[in-house]
Amino acid sequence: MSKTAPSIERKRQKTGMAFITPTLLIITAILVYPILQSVVLSFGESSIDGSVPYKFVGFKHYFALLQTERFWNALTVTVIFTAISIPLELILGIGLALLLNEHFRFKGIARLAVLFPWALPTALNTLMWRWMYNTDYGVFNAVALQSGLADRPINWLGDDVLAMGAMVTVAVWKTSSFMALIILAGLQSIPRDLYEAGRMDGMSRWQEFREITLPLLKGPILVALIVRSMDALRTFELPFNLTDGGPVTATESLSLYAYKVIFDFVEFNFGAAIVVVQFLVIFAMSLIYIFTLRNKD
Amino acid sequence: MTEVKLKSIGKSYGAVAAVQQVDLTIKDGEFLVLLGPSGCGKSTTLRMIAGLESITAGDLLIGGKRMNDVDPKNRGVAMVFQNYALYPHKSVFDNMAMALKLQKVAASEIEKRVGTTAEMLGLTEYLGRKPAALSGGQRQRVAIGRAIVRTPDVFLFDEPLSNLDAKLRVKMRMELQELHDRLGVTSVYVTHDQVEAMTLADRIVIMNKGLVTQVGTPREVYDHPVDEFVAGFIGSPAMNFIDLVRNDNGIWKTACCSLALPSLPLDTSRLLSLRLGIRPEHIVVNPDDEKGAFTYQATVKLDELLGADALLNLKVGDVSLLARVGGMDYPVKGDVLKIALPEARMHFFNPETGLAYDRTH
Amino acid sequence: MQLRPRFGLYALVTVSVLVSFLPIIWLILTSLKTTAGIYAWPPQYIPDPFTLDNYINIIQNSPELLIYVWNSFVVGFGTTVFTLVFGSMAGYALSRLGMRRAGILMIFILAVSMFPPVSLIPSLFQNFLQFGLLNTYIGLIIAHTGLFLPFAVWMLASYFATLPVEIEEAARMDGMGTFRIFRSIVIPLSWPGFVATGLIVFIFSWNEFPLALVLMTENAMRTAPVGISLYPGEYAFPWETISTATVIAIIPILMITAIFQKQIVGGLTAGASK
Repeated sequence: MSKTAPSIERKRQKTGMAFITPTLLIITAILVYPILQSVVLSFGESSIDGSVPYKFVGFKHYFALLQTERFWNALTVTVIFTAISIPLELILGIGLALLLNEHFRFKGIARLAVLFPWALPTALNTLMWRWMYNTDYGVFNAVALQSGLADRPINWLGDDVLAMGAMVTVAVWKTSSFMALIILAGLQSIPRDLYEAGRMDGMSRWQEFREITLPLLKGPILVALIVRSMDALRTFELPFNLTDGGPVTATESLSLYAYKVIFDFVEFNFGAAIVVVQFLVIFAMSLIYIFTLRNKD
Repeated sequence: MTEVKLKSIGKSYGAVAAVQQVDLTIKDGEFLVLLGPSGCGKSTTLRMIAGLESITAGDLLIGGKRMNDVDPKNRGVAMVFQNYALYPHKSVFDNMAMALKLQKVAASEIEKRVGTTAEMLGLTEYLGRKPAALSGGQRQRVAIGRAIVRTPDVFLFDEPLSNLDAKLRVKMRMELQELHDRLGVTSVYVTHDQVEAMTLADRIVIMNKGLVTQVGTPREVYDHPVDEFVAGFIGSPAMNFIDLVRNDNGIWKTACCSLALPSLPLDTSRLLSLRLGIRPEHIVVNPDDEKGAFTYQATVKLDELLGADALLNLKVGDVSLLARVGGMDYPVKGDVLKIALPEARMHFFNPETGLAYDRTH
Repeated sequence: MQLRPRFGLYALVTVSVLVSFLPIIWLILTSLKTTAGIYAWPPQYIPDPFTLDNYINIIQNSPELLIYVWNSFVVGFGTTVFTLVFGSMAGYALSRLGMRRAGILMIFILAVSMFPPVSLIPSLFQNFLQFGLLNTYIGLIIAHTGLFLPFAVWMLASYFATLPVEIEEAARMDGMGTFRIFRSIVIPLSWPGFVATGLIVFIFSWNEFPLALVLMTENAMRTAPVGISLYPGEYAFPWETISTATVIAIIPILMITAIFQKQIVGGLTAGASK
């Protein structure tokens, strides 16, 4: 009786460790270690191919960053893009979800149509839209000119405001469907009899929405919002393919700016400082997300 | 000879004890039922015998050998699960044959043993089917068959009938009884259903809060519950309890004196309060002797016909009593009648500890 | 009385479906036009004449566009296999093997899954360069596996959690070890979870851009989204080729989505609401 070894549990935990080790190794190598290395790189001078030995320079790159107008521009662009597209996606997403929750024929096709924009690569989606926005041959200008809505071709991607609008449009087109799917799942988990009870209480359809649907959708909506916000804050291929950040830098997101700094301007360590800042912003968001998730139940 | 011995067995998860300390000896060939409300530790005890749950205190002996750290497959035990736990992607035959295959029993031998067992359980024609194509009762038989083919030293049953509908449950209960009579294998059976326990068990172990409260034959636990918990748990509807205090004249009465008991069949000299228990089926309505010692006038507040029986909700002064009477010509709501409480059927408990008092006669 | 709201409903549905499909339809139409038709005024809404020249042209003159698609297949397939193997093992350990601190590990995995890919680029590029992993399938497969493993672990762990635990216990009573139970009981019973997870991971990998851009610098190794985006055009974008290549590159995804719509939607929403 000396040993109280719970051998069954211990054996299983050993197997468990063996089962989880490969995953932890890969995650560490691909996700955790690179972030730490980026932090180290951001505090030094080195070269991308390792030909220059690493030299510690402290906060030099961060101070430089604070004084770089283009960084502030990229940050502003990213925040504006996120702040405009997320509410639009949410409203459209709720609308789409309510629509898909109705009973009608050809529902399968409708659901599929909603799923497609999400499932296709953002990079290629963006190319499609860029083709439609094309000043000389795009379908938007063709319709605008032929219908007389415009007398000259509109340079959709050549104007600061229009370009941002174009980018937001693509994002909203692509991700409203994702929002809709998550909200739809939430909708379908609301027990039917709640609505029947509501009807017995004499609620109108709007009151049903206000008093039953919306409060019970709070969880899924919150999740969708935070996940999408983090997505939007790291948007990369959308401006990369649509405008290359232009005109000039009017649509240059933080991710795109960091990429250009590293590979076009070959300022490796300065670029590392940018990605560390971006990481901190998004990580803060993800902590909020996890916190809300844990509080949910 | 397969005797199962639990020596001060306990199971705790960190600071929480699911099973505090259980001492039990299950005799060879005995059908032992672990009975108790949910969370009482009966399932955990069974799972410790099975080897699905580690034992954090005490020793488990099966056939005289210590089994605490032995793999389930080497304990000589087979288990029937509540939800059948059949492999949904394998045929009935493969479900029953799995353990033998893993023991590397020869294919011809497996065929023979599964075949015999299937015949015994009336499953022969279903051997090629998947569990999803079977009815609940058939699935339950496969689950039992799977245990039988292993020819285990001990059968373990974890609420095996609780997923069946009422009719089928009665049928399967009888089949289990026959099976045990035929095979005579030591069996441990967990249930929260007292009817199953009373009908199947050689002995019943009643558990509460991780401890064994009473071990005894069905007769013993029904007639002589050791405490208020057992008294209330066994029997349906539950036993009536009446709190009594002794007044200055040494007479036992309910708090505001509507029901007085002249003398009690136990030594009450040192007691000031006690709890009287009497089962609904033991209350005599309209007794022959209307002047007996424990005869009272009662009003029927509610009558409920169950079929063969009827339940009467009686009021004696401020005391509510439930009585069970025959379903023919019984008193109805509003009737005033005499009832008698047979002295021999009374139980007495300490109101603080719940323990039963020994009767003096 | 019933007609009006139904009509409105169908009108709304039609508009949503049209808006969703419009860019894809326009793209397909473009790919079926002649070069003259693409740049014609007045614009052609319907190709006139219909032609498959652009497709033939790609096959004959620009095989690299097809190689991009092949690369995406290889990387997507490899990533899916790795992710399912490691993700299912980890998911099983976390949901069923009574791991200590399983909850914290799950949160950790969730947290790292939110790291922005661009933040990984400086380090990954440097390390892959050093280990000769740039421009290799295995390199990008490992990177994508790391990126999407957290998702797979969460999906599969929550799927395993829905299996009745008693079946695994019965298997243990029958004499199976943990690995055997995992292989011959858990995996066969979880294939819907595997299908959903695998499809979504495949789509994720097919669509992933920043790492595919940075870790595959040779033209011949590029994945479809990157290769097509960077397709060389000296002065103007060759839209007839681009639109055709894009159609080819999205066909696999369109088909997967159409066929496995239920599984994908189920998996996505389950993953997001957990």
